Amino acid sequence: MHDFASVHPCTWCDGCGDYGIWSAAKRALVELKIQPWQVLLCFDVGCHGNMSDKIEAYRFHGLHGRVIPLTAGASLANPTIPVIAFGGDGASFSEGIGHLVHAVRSNYRMTFILHNNANYGLTTGQASALTPQDQKMNSSPNGIPESTLNSMDFVFSLKPTFVARGFSGDIAQMTRILMAAIRHRGFAYVDMLQACPTYNKFATHEWLMQHCYDAATEGHDPKNFEKARALAVDTQNRVATGILYQTEDVPAFHEHLKPREGVTTTPVEEVKIVDTSKWERSFA
Amino acid sequence: MVRVAIKIVGAQGQGVNSVGEMCAKGLKRSGFCVFGYREYMSLIKGGHSSYQLDVSAEDVRSSTTRVDIVVTFNHHGLEKNLRDIKKGGILLHQTPQWKFKNPEDQAFIAEQKIRVIELPTDAILKKLKAKPILGNVLITAVVWSLLSQPEEQLRALVREQFGHKKDLLDLNFACIAEGFAACKVIAPGITLSLPKPDSKWQDQLLLTGSQAMGLGIIHAGCRVYVGYPMTPSSPILTFIADMQNETGMAVKQAEDEITAAQMMVGAMHMGTRAITATSGGGFDLMTETLSLTGITETPAVFILAQRPGPGTALPTWTAQGDLTLAVGAGHGEYTRLVMAASDTQDSFDLLPEAFNFAEEFQIPVIVLTDKHLGEALFTQPAFDQTIAKLKRGRLVTDLRELAQLKPADRYDPAAGDGVSKRWLPGSEAATFCAQGDEHGPDGSVTEDAENARQQMEKRLKKMAALKAALPEPLYVGPKNPETLIVSWGSNRGVIFDVLESAEMKKKNIGYLHYQYLWPLKTESFEMLSRTAKRTVFIECNHGGQLASLLKLACGRDVTQKILKFDGRPFFFEELREKLLSALTPNPSLDRRGA
Ligand SMILES: Cc1ncc(C[n+]2csc(CCOP(=O)(O)OP(=O)(O)O)c2C)c(N)n1
Ligand code: SF4
Ligand SMILES: [Mg+2]
Repeated sequence: MHDFASVHPCTWCDGCGDYGIWSAAKRALVELKIQPWQVLLCFDVGCHGNMSDKIEAYRFHGLHGRVIPLTAGASLANPTIPVIAFGGDGASFSEGIGHLVHAVRSNYRMTFILHNNANYGLTTGQASALTPQDQKMNSSPNGIPESTLNSMDFVFSLKPTFVARGFSGDIAQMTRILMAAIRHRGFAYVDMLQACPTYNKFATHEWLMQHCYDAATEGHDPKNFEKARALAVDTQNRVATGILYQTEDVPAFHEHLKPREGVTTTPVEEVKIVDTSKWERSFA
Repeated sequence: MVRVAIKIVGAQGQGVNSVGEMCAKGLKRSGFCVFGYREYMSLIKGGHSSYQLDVSAEDVRSSTTRVDIVVTFNHHGLEKNLRDIKKGGILLHQTPQWKFKNPEDQAFIAEQKIRVIELPTDAILKKLKAKPILGNVLITAVVWSLLSQPEEQLRALVREQFGHKKDLLDLNFACIAEGFAACKVIAPGITLSLPKPDSKWQDQLLLTGSQAMGLGIIHAGCRVYVGYPMTPSSPILTFIADMQNETGMAVKQAEDEITAAQMMVGAMHMGTRAITATSGGGFDLMTETLSLTGITETPAVFILAQRPGPGTALPTWTAQGDLTLAVGAGHGEYTRLVMAASDTQDSFDLLPEAFNFAEEFQIPVIVLTDKHLGEALFTQPAFDQTIAKLKRGRLVTDLRELAQLKPADRYDPAAGDGVSKRWLPGSEAATFCAQGDEHGPDGSVTEDAENARQQMEKRLKKMAALKAALPEPLYVGPKNPETLIVSWGSNRGVIFDVLESAEMKKKNIGYLHYQYLWPLKTESFEMLSRTAKRTVFIECNHGGQLASLLKLACGRDVTQKILKFDGRPFFFEELREKLLSALTPNPSLDRRGA
């Protein structure tokens, strides 16, 4: 843990779920024996993105809503280095929702951690697409008129290869989830239900504690897509957590590329001036 | 210079391009320089399109407005393109029993002594039991015969294309024979004479600006291409994608331009060379990412292939209206480089430079091209493979040096030229954060005023160093020209052709051509324009964007402008005339094109 420790103190509110996710991310990397220089962590803009200088490792803190394609590009350039994208629910289900759709489809080799606090934290508590309808929020004094997006139903509709759900109060489980996610062959979607005591008054830490349960303890088989989907979507009375679905049968994006088959180097290692004369003949 | 122009017209999808390309290849192999220019509309089938070949034994890099022969696939071309034909020219068509009904057309044909020839394509194809597509070879054969070019050469071209399919090849040969035979009947004694060929053209390449740029991308060692289709950048994507099995590049058609730009930046940050290409609207979407690279100091290369704006405007036509966009796009202040290719040579040569500058200065680089350059066909010597060098600037890869790095080396404001060390994720070294928020030397976020000032200065210090590293604009002409022409981008070809024309050759004109447009070098311009009697800017935009930038930089505005903004490039006679009248004293300083 020491290797990933930063000199900067965290700037999150007391009781913020980001502390837990932050701890679990570091733990998972340590457990996997990954050194800070062996990993790239990419951050979106939001409260969660303020982690960018509270942890050691190679890091990139980019634009709001764009962390997925930034990380996907890095992964494509060097698939041997684990890359982890941290994004918020505002970033990932509004500004950059298109990226999420296509990242799942593309199955890039990367981990995506959704800091799901069901609101725009950093901009002081506006509603996100995951905020319950009619909930009063900053800028929606009468409650938001839009219906709520069921994020799990949405993600499952895209045929993901890895879906997990954690809760920011259970660091041990989040660590296990993240270890599996980082090792996953393709795109690992990890929905971390994150307490935000400042702006989220509906799914509080206590509420999450009472409602979340580890699906593995009830014998859930993460190979069963349909069951996983049903379990993930139904949060009416209880919220299933853990690795809900995983398949390693689908190649990652870079493995799908014909020209890269059998290539043992990465694009990072291949940068050199290339003689193009043999390809010019067809123009003569 | 003797030049001959052939214009093939018809509905899109009728074979205009394949006949154009076949003629171009054949003529080049016969020893001619060929310049091909395409016009088409933003639709798939039916719109009126054309492919013009300007042919000469000397360098030719432009199109004329009037041509020696129009070959038309349909009756629309008969009416639409009649007036494109020069006096004594030929109109070759395939519409049975066509009669010009319009008395003005009849008068034009009589006055201009236009020779109208009808090829009974349908009847010949029926006789040969050949599909309509073979009409392309048939009509090419007639053109070949009119140009007195050897039949065998056309056969060789066809053999290259269909050699593996014997039946098809035989049918093609039959069409060639029929075309030559028909020509004797329908056009007895009519020929179109070409100048004496020069063998130096025979082995040269015939390729578009987009293809040359694609080769330049590959040459530069770029290993990841991420794009989203948008004319006129799409042919680059297509070319790179079609080459991927040969080059081993990772090619991704992204879900949008924001993704394309972000993936490029992510890949560059990781340490490969990656690129994206788009046109104005797509570039607009990329600009937030462009700005991000300004603060994270990530090398990045964007190709901006211009077409007219604003909005969707004229998607398949040309313009140079995005220079100020490239120079000013993205919020905030940071160092960037803007360069513009003008021909196939530039398109190839500038790409390794773009990557080198991006990496040496850790900045975004924008490479401008346009529809005219991207889709015109150029005759080009094989590219010199020995010029480009791989320059990666302060990229640290040495293990010992890596071991000594401190996180604060990444954005060290003490770097004299503003360029600090960069190292790649996965390197066994101290780590840092590529930080999009204002940051201290190690990429940690800080809102401290003194630090903000220092980091801003660091990033903008690079501008001076970059400017000093850039070459002066290219100058051709006498030491103290009476007239100074200033231009950039794809206008170069037509300007050269005009300056070499008999009317201009003896005049005291110099031509300053800007390849590197930002940061803007002004020394040569100031020196030359100070003594010149007149300075004439030639640009395909409404505002005279380069003229404005130079005015801003030098405060000088004693210029004339020849501007064009109708989606078409400058044509040879058009520019010659405009330039001639610019040379004759005229009270109006601002001269606008159509
Ligand atoms: C292009 C752009 N639009 C808007 C913003 C302002 N902004 C910063 S964070 C944020 C929302 C953050 O919400 P979320 O993604 O859920 O992250 P959280 O703060 O809740 O962790 C917004 C809208 C921005 N930085 N960039
Ligand atoms: S606003 Fe919410 S998400 Fe942001 S730091 Fe505070 S508790 Fe955490
Ligand atoms: Mg949020």
